[in-house]
Amino acid sequence: MTSKYTRREFLRRSSALSILGTGTPFALNLAALSSAAAAPASDYRALVCLFFAGGSDTHNVVLATDTTSWTAYQTARNTGADPIALLAAGTPPNAGATINTPARLGGVLPITPLTAQSGRSFALHPALPWLTSQFAAGRAAVVSNVGPLIVPTTKAQYRARSVPLPPKLFSHNDQQSLWQSYSPEGARVGWGGRLGDLLVAAGNNAANPLFTAISTSGSAVWLSGQNVLQYQVGSSGPTAIGGMTGTLFGSGTASATFRSLITGSSSQLFESEHAKVVSRSIDAQARLATTMLPAGTGGVPNPPQYTNPATGTLATNGLAGQLQTVARMIGAQAALGVQRQVFFVQLGGFDTHDFQNREQPRLMAQIDAALQYFYGVLASLGGRDYTGSVTTFTASDFGRTFTTNGDGTDHGWGSHQFVVGGGVKGGDLYGRFPITGLNHDDEVGSGSLLPVLSVDQYGATLGKWFGVSDADLLTVFPSLGNFTQRNVGFMV
Amino acid sequence: MSTWALKTGLRCAALAATALIAACGGGDSSSGTSSASNVPGIPGVPGTPPTDRPPTQADAARFLQQATFGATQADVDRLMSIGYNAWLNEQFAAPQVQHRQTYDAVAATLVAAGQTAGENQFYESWWKQAATGQDQLRQRVSFALSQIFVVSLNDSTVANTPRGVASYYDTLARNAFGNYRQLIEDVSLHPMMGLYLSWLRNEKESGARVPDQNYAREVMQLFSIGLYRLNPDGSVVTANGAPVETYDNVDIEGLSRVFTGFSWYAGPNATDRTDTRFYGGAAVADREILPMQSYAKFHSTSAKTFLGTTIPANTSANPEGDLKTALDTIAAHPNVGPFLSRQLIQRLVTSNPSPAYVGRVAAVWANNGAGARGDLKAVIRAILLDTEARTASTDPAYGRLREPLQRVVNWARVAEASSDSGRWLMGRTDDPGSSLGQTPMRSPSVFNFYRPGYSPPNTAISAAGLVAPEMQITNESSVVGYLNSMRSWVQSGMGSTPTGATRRDIQPNYTALLTLADNADSLVDRLNLLLTGNTLPSTVRQQIRDAVNSVSIPAAGGTAASDARLNRVRLAVFLVMASPAYLTQK
Repeated sequence: MTSKYTRREFLRRSSALSILGTGTPFALNLAALSSAAAAPASDYRALVCLFFAGGSDTHNVVLATDTTSWTAYQTARNTGADPIALLAAGTPPNAGATINTPARLGGVLPITPLTAQSGRSFALHPALPWLTSQFAAGRAAVVSNVGPLIVPTTKAQYRARSVPLPPKLFSHNDQQSLWQSYSPEGARVGWGGRLGDLLVAAGNNAANPLFTAISTSGSAVWLSGQNVLQYQVGSSGPTAIGGMTGTLFGSGTASATFRSLITGSSSQLFESEHAKVVSRSIDAQARLATTMLPAGTGGVPNPPQYTNPATGTLATNGLAGQLQTVARMIGAQAALGVQRQVFFVQLGGFDTHDFQNREQPRLMAQIDAALQYFYGVLASLGGRDYTGSVTTFTASDFGRTFTTNGDGTDHGWGSHQFVVGGGVKGGDLYGRFPITGLNHDDEVGSGSLLPVLSVDQYGATLGKWFGVSDADLLTVFPSLGNFTQRNVGFMV
Repeated sequence: MSTWALKTGLRCAALAATALIAACGGGDSSSGTSSASNVPGIPGVPGTPPTDRPPTQADAARFLQQATFGATQADVDRLMSIGYNAWLNEQFAAPQVQHRQTYDAVAATLVAAGQTAGENQFYESWWKQAATGQDQLRQRVSFALSQIFVVSLNDSTVANTPRGVASYYDTLARNAFGNYRQLIEDVSLHPMMGLYLSWLRNEKESGARVPDQNYAREVMQLFSIGLYRLNPDGSVVTANGAPVETYDNVDIEGLSRVFTGFSWYAGPNATDRTDTRFYGGAAVADREILPMQSYAKFHSTSAKTFLGTTIPANTSANPEGDLKTALDTIAAHPNVGPFLSRQLIQRLVTSNPSPAYVGRVAAVWANNGAGARGDLKAVIRAILLDTEARTASTDPAYGRLREPLQRVVNWARVAEASSDSGRWLMGRTDDPGSSLGQTPMRSPSVFNFYRPGYSPPNTAISAAGLVAPEMQITNESSVVGYLNSMRSWVQSGMGSTPTGATRRDIQPNYTALLTLADNADSLVDRLNLLLTGNTLPSTVRQQIRDAVNSVSIPAAGGTAASDARLNRVRLAVFLVMASPAYLTQK
């Protein structure tokens, strides 16, 4: 708030920051701050956060299919004006059925986790055939009922408010922020950026620290570290600012004036920050122009359209387009000299309060096709196979209610997520899968799941694979110390 | 704000409400060319000069960049002549033009030509009104409201009825100078809001099914009271160091039962409201622009508890009565004034208003001086005439980043642009890398293009504990999209090129600026005045002046000379609009 703001504090902080914000190679500063030995990792690893904006109804993404669970599921969801219950495994898709009905999709797709959960059997949404195949092949895992938690929490504790609870549960913007940064909206540091801080401080990415944390989908607090900045690349790659060389509106010298103006320093805070963004844009574009793999022939092939299974129509896969840009950047890692990168890609439209039968299959099919495309192109980027180096994990604002409001669902808490890639101990379902139904100990009302695993545990497991020490993980994940299990075990 | 500004604010607090701003020493005497002396008038005596005229043209232009979509010389002259309050009164009285009527007229011609209307017809009308509307204050405030009471064509359901979105925008514009209580009712009952936040055809609970909670949640979080209890100056109330929340899930559940049993307009008679129409069938004409109606059969009769109010269970459904109770309760909540006043200040004036500024405006929200609450005219007047708005501040944190749409409308107004077709053929301007990263009424979600509390990480802004909402859509990609688009538009105009036409539909008319082209100082001074309120630093002004002079005007005259003059104008406009000093509205 403004009341905290004093001129002296402003001057102190801005002078400290200006060291990082200008041309000084900030890896040097980081190395000076870090007690760790500065040596880059010998291998390359990337973490890709695939965020489902709006709150994914994962009750329909990972399903328990044993008789007790399935009966409870049908009872709750096969009701209302436009029932959102999916069909039983084995039901063939009916191309003649009404569009945007579960019958179009066919039944859920069974999976068999390596570790059995007593009396339970499982399946995935019918529009996830590739993920189902990857699960069977041991290259994809399900992390069950994960969400923001401060301490392990029982329903009784939740009801009595006898333990600290995450703030602003069920609110989109705040829960997006909590997943990414452990604080509600307004947070400035996320755990992806903090992992980047530590890896850069340890000597990685020294030549190009700007390419440590990259978003193809606008601003995401997950990517912001205490030192690492997020680089926001266009969904189809960087573009140059025109007019900075040559003749500008009939003047041979104005192009230099233009460049000087848009990057010039200022004592005004917003002006100064805008000029820094422009400077970074120019610098990044220049570096990527010669290093990033081209899109299409000779580089990273363009993604195909995907089929919307609820209608049978073909559509452009915007998510795959973002992942194409990520692949083009990963293909540049050797040329850029970067060893550790975190990426943020995002798909919106998950807030299915209504028309869930129309929206969810389209989203699931897009995700499935985009991931299949991504791991396909990663297998050969500039002649090298990156599938074992790149781990993609999913996240979302929250899960949703188990109850239906007739044709959709409301805001919930815990949700089921996927981890895909070479670093994953796949073929298994991690975490105790919650009871299916209403009014049980794993839910807090309307079937909103009370998480069993915290985002801290989920993130720390990924951070460990990324190369961050146990001691440092406790600084990245503020509540991790409240949980005895600090590695969920889904990464090698 | 700096301590200095805070003190000034306190000193002027009493005066701000009555808008005797000149007495607070507002205005920057060091800049601008003064064309009107501030002669005190004799109150109540006709014919005497107004007492609240801007001291300088720069002061007038600064005001207009807050109150309009961009100053023109005519606007500056008018404001200098009649003073702030008379200008506001004139704008409050300016008639509203309905987007929906424009949409219908264009749609009719399209249909006659075998085509169909779509979302572009709303964008066209938006650009036309924003750039050329005489009701500029309404234009600016309506756009601000559209970023608080968000409905988006980005939603696949809303996208089916762009005519409804035109009508929704009209609803915001109609209420912009009205009362908040009516605004929140009209917003709530508009079918586009019903569709967007899925409370249209929301049904009462039954068995395992519960009412949709979407609207109940967002009407409180975003449209009225926010998440945390606020003091009258907008600061957060804390208890034991933690913010005090305004509601919890019990309130959401209670309020969600109020928002049941409403759906599409069905007709004037109770018998028109059939189950089929509730569920969306048997559509009647104009249902996308008419307020939703209640269908008692689908409205919950359970008890409804929210925000300290309980509507007891009843035997017969009372949807309208329950809705009235709910909206009365929400509108009377003490948070509404500070919560929304702060956001309106951020949209119009500055991203980080002092608590005292928010408090002064919120006090007017609570009571307009005649006992009325939520009088938006009074609130707008208080925002724009407050000393913190009227004082040209040198505080390094003062002001706000201009959002992309505002910049481009600024250009259209300073360039006196017009549309060859008369329609302003603009489509989506969504893509950040190649366009603006912002299209009117196409926010990515109900949380707008950016959040009022957004603070860019790892910057001096966040280190100082300040926010910069518009920075949320400013990144390494978007800066390229803006600069490349602007360079093209300054040169060749903007909008699509219709079949058979030889140029883009929207063309600048630089006639007035061309008369200044031979004198680079005059040209840059005019743009500095109209686009920034004379806030370009002298070094920046000089750099641009020198660049303009680098385009020599051949002494022989002829086409080469007129081309050079045109290049000078384009270059000056582009460089001013590219400079960070312009991009920050101060």
